[in-house]
Amino acid sequence: MDLLKNITDATKEIFETMIMLDITPGDPLKESVKSFKCSVSGVIGLAGNCQGMLAIHTPDDVAKAITSSFLGMDVDEINEDVTDAIGELANMLAGSIKMALDGAGKDVTVSIPSCIHGEEYSMDCVADADWVVVPFTIESGQFLVELQLKNC
Amino acid sequence: MGKRVLVIDDSSTMRKIVSRSLRQAGLDFDEILEAGDGQEALTLLESQSVDLILSDINMPNMDGIEFLRQKKEIAGIAGIPVVMITTEGGSDIIGEAKALGAAGNIKKPFTPDKIEEVIGGLI
Repeated sequence: MDLLKNITDATKEIFETMIMLDITPGDPLKESVKSFKCSVSGVIGLAGNCQGMLAIHTPDDVAKAITSSFLGMDVDEINEDVTDAIGELANMLAGSIKMALDGAGKDVTVSIPSCIHGEEYSMDCVADADWVVVPFTIESGQFLVELQLKNC
Repeated sequence: MGKRVLVIDDSSTMRKIVSRSLRQAGLDFDEILEAGDGQEALTLLESQSVDLILSDINMPNMDGIEFLRQKKEIAGIAGIPVVMITTEGGSDIIGEAKALGAAGNIKKPFTPDKIEEVIGGLI
């Protein structure tokens, strides 16, 4: 299963159909990112035949720009609209990954989205998981989509 | 009385986007009601009448499948058509929803055109 292609295609589809922002994928990172500053992360857990998580990590300004375009309104601060929007974005991405895994014969369930934000925080990796982190660029900056999968 | 629709989703973002997409699709609802999960929707339907329900599946407290299961046992609301709006577009859970009476399915992400295509014939 081509995780990189699945992430890239799913992210582009969501931005083209529902967020209406031009988006450019970059080359996958060679090292995972564990620490974030002034950012918002939407996280979905994956369970079943494959275990892991999908996350989207957005700097505050990028999170506000995504939310503003998503909802069609001005967003000046990190508030419930922003955390809900980034969580829902992670939810839609995880749904696309789940469908790809289901198509490959895996039986995977997805959790309700969670959202983390703050001036400085870190997230640990799933132990022994395969991972891919893809940067995407929009006008307001860059964000990361991260997928970790174990036993796939 | 004009037509009314109930949107059930735990994401306030998605409830707003569904409401906006209904307007962009030109669907003529006079009022759009909202609920954050299936239990909240069942409570709301005790006092409010609607012509159509749009529901997410993966929600806390009461998910969309359990909502369908309980709704079809309540005489006054069993006949209201329900369209599922979910990320799980191709999985077995869609079949389960249809077996419980769901009238259709819209996969996230969606466009207003897709909303009109699925819902247009139900109102």
